[in-house]
Amino acid sequence: MSFIKSLKAVPLLLVLLLAACTSQEPASPDSTVTHNSEEKSITLLFNVQSNSIDPHTDVNYTAVRAGIAETLLTIGNDLKLQPAVAESWSSEDGQNWIFNIRKGLTFQNGKSVDAAAVQASLERAQQLNPSVKNSLHIREMKSAGQVLTIVTEQPFPQLPSDLVHPNTAILAAESTEEAPIGTGPFMLASFKPGSELNVERNSQYWGGTVKLAKAKFSFNEDANARLLAIQAKSADIVYRPPIESFDQLKADASLTLDSLTGLRAHQLLYNMNNAELGQEEVRKAFDALIDREAIVSSIMTGQATAAAGPFLAEAPFSPEYTPKTFDLEVARQFFRTAGYDVDNGLVSKGGKPLTFRLLTYQSRAELPLISQLIQANAKELGITVDIRLVDNIDEYLAANDDWDLATYSNITAPRGDASYFLNAAYTSEGALNYGYVRQPELEALIEQLNTAIAEDERNNLAQQAVAYIDEHRLNSFIIHPNNFVVYSSHVKNWVTSKSEYYLLTKDLDIE
Amino acid sequence: MLRSIGKRLLELLLFFLLLSFVSFCLLKIVPGDPVRSILRVDDVAVTSEQIEAMRTQLGLDKPLFVQYGLWLKQLVQFNLGDSYLTSRPVFSEFTEKLPYTLLLTAGSLVVMLLISIPLGILSALYRNRWIDQFSRIFSLIGSSVPSFWLGLVLIQFFAVRLQLLPPMGEGSWRHLILPSLTLGLAMSAIYVRLVRSSLIESAGQDFVTSAKARGIHPARVFLFHTFRHSLIPLITIFSESIGSLLGGTVVVEVLFAYPGLGKWIVDAIAARDYPIIQGYTLFMSVFIVSINILVEMSYRWINPEIALKGKIES
Repeated sequence: MSFIKSLKAVPLLLVLLLAACTSQEPASPDSTVTHNSEEKSITLLFNVQSNSIDPHTDVNYTAVRAGIAETLLTIGNDLKLQPAVAESWSSEDGQNWIFNIRKGLTFQNGKSVDAAAVQASLERAQQLNPSVKNSLHIREMKSAGQVLTIVTEQPFPQLPSDLVHPNTAILAAESTEEAPIGTGPFMLASFKPGSELNVERNSQYWGGTVKLAKAKFSFNEDANARLLAIQAKSADIVYRPPIESFDQLKADASLTLDSLTGLRAHQLLYNMNNAELGQEEVRKAFDALIDREAIVSSIMTGQATAAAGPFLAEAPFSPEYTPKTFDLEVARQFFRTAGYDVDNGLVSKGGKPLTFRLLTYQSRAELPLISQLIQANAKELGITVDIRLVDNIDEYLAANDDWDLATYSNITAPRGDASYFLNAAYTSEGALNYGYVRQPELEALIEQLNTAIAEDERNNLAQQAVAYIDEHRLNSFIIHPNNFVVYSSHVKNWVTSKSEYYLLTKDLDIE
Repeated sequence: MLRSIGKRLLELLLFFLLLSFVSFCLLKIVPGDPVRSILRVDDVAVTSEQIEAMRTQLGLDKPLFVQYGLWLKQLVQFNLGDSYLTSRPVFSEFTEKLPYTLLLTAGSLVVMLLISIPLGILSALYRNRWIDQFSRIFSLIGSSVPSFWLGLVLIQFFAVRLQLLPPMGEGSWRHLILPSLTLGLAMSAIYVRLVRSSLIESAGQDFVTSAKARGIHPARVFLFHTFRHSLIPLITIFSESIGSLLGGTVVVEVLFAYPGLGKWIVDAIAARDYPIIQGYTLFMSVFIVSINILVEMSYRWINPEIALKGKIES
């Protein structure tokens, strides 16, 4: 009896506990931010943990993101290449490249940056990182004073774009895997793998005065914990807070929410070995079953842009995409054109309903939801879509052919050039050509792109290739998710980077 | 004595060899390999030819026994290899993470002991009284609440509202409190009931009745007879808990951005970073076997009957 009495108190205790823990009263300021002009410091909380600080091998590019190391070239939010360690570059044939290294530039240890130092750094990157070696296609390098000559194995016009990759950052010869010495606005103070990186101002920075004296770059992969960190004043800038917290964050006057369309594209892959999906009309029908607006507004709560193609519409290599509308009747019409039976709005083939297997994965939480939406829309046409969750989508797609449709996501133009995605996803040998796309006309265009040097010509060829993909719906592109950041109102000059390569900058400041 | 130790060491060596082989085989059975991660297929243009070339370079196209042999050859040279993804020695990465995990394990066990021992003893001494009901409810709630939720509640309360403790990271004893509480509270929910039931069982033993009949002070009877006897099942489960804490705290590590072994190994498994997975398996098996040996030795001290039986048998 007394036990029952005690149990009665449990709900009350729980309510008290929850009430105590969910109060929205503003917390008193912490001392994580120092406002003294000489000792200004900031804490940025990033969403991916890094166990390495060596920019040549680190998959999370922490040293570049934290402003320790810089690459020969950088990419702006307009997706155009900008000079950094190299102040200019040129090539007449796309194979012999001249990079003029910025004069008067010094590493953070005071040693000057000349072409020989850059060459040594690129050699180290190639030696330590096979992906850098594969991507740069360098046959030989020569250095003389501030002039670095790079000869590639074959004409390789996208070399400057690939030198934007953070794994090609320029380091001093004295650098070690634990202590990289770069040319960026901040110098390494300490690094605790998997936990935090502390940096200090590089007073000799070539780009001008660095406003912050110190910065802490911490990692936390749990979105809710990151949100709590900014509420606890333990962080000044938080990368990717939970989407569901946006209303709460917008209502908080002490915080600013910044969001911009990123370079990533969520896609629906079609397995061309499937007899139905090998037909263009069937792919177009599936494309018409994708309700992009609903995905943006409901699943992404507005934090995405409907995608019409692989690249953002404003990219110089994007063609005029065909309009994409969600329309069940249009989908039915495509099935009719492809020779399927459409009775009472239901699609069948020889009296048998259609069934497809759709692969998805959970590391991007919205993809299973998008899959369910496609499944529900297909059901309206009497089409069965079996959804299957896999752990590692890349491994599964590379090793298996027992799927028909797959949701996929990657950054399609990470460095301001279309050739990476086109080569990887649409050539017969491309490592991302999971859908077995074999289109000789498209491959010929990509081949031309791979040897074209002039920027206009490259953009034109890329546009033609993308228009081909769009016209034949070789994939369906669903949305471009946003990059979003929340920061305290005392943070000044924060710029959300489209490429996500540059987070701590010389201009970042606090009031 | 020396012969016995030698025999035991040989047994252990064979055990580690067998374990490493089984784990190596299991790793290779799981589909996928690290090549696509190493070459960053989702970030730079890579061809299937380059993927095959890298597979050959890493020796992943060789027969399983050859691959295992190569790993074993490295091991006898005290080289666990380098991580495929970071190119850093596995041993360095392991020793970097281990102190954090040991600290978190110790912190969690302290919290667990501080809660479960007093509460369990009181529950056993005052059976069906309010303290026993409280401990029952505590166990019920504690074992039902998921650790990530408990962690978030603790951060909200102690870091956001009260601003007493840092919400994440490491660097001082204060950083250890919230993750230790999160793990320790969940564990103590189970241990409270274990302590209680073990004490009640021990209290009914003949030697306890005999001790009481001899007029020994009740406190002494409790401490040196009842409590001591109840330790055997507790220590057995305690050793298992240490094993799971040494690598199974990934949720708490992610939540509190704590750089321990749990997250490290989960990432390595996801990326099929074979040298790390093999190295981790080997280290952890050594740890767990060592703990088990210590536990076995402690039985002899706690219950002299075990040591006596051993002597009689020998």
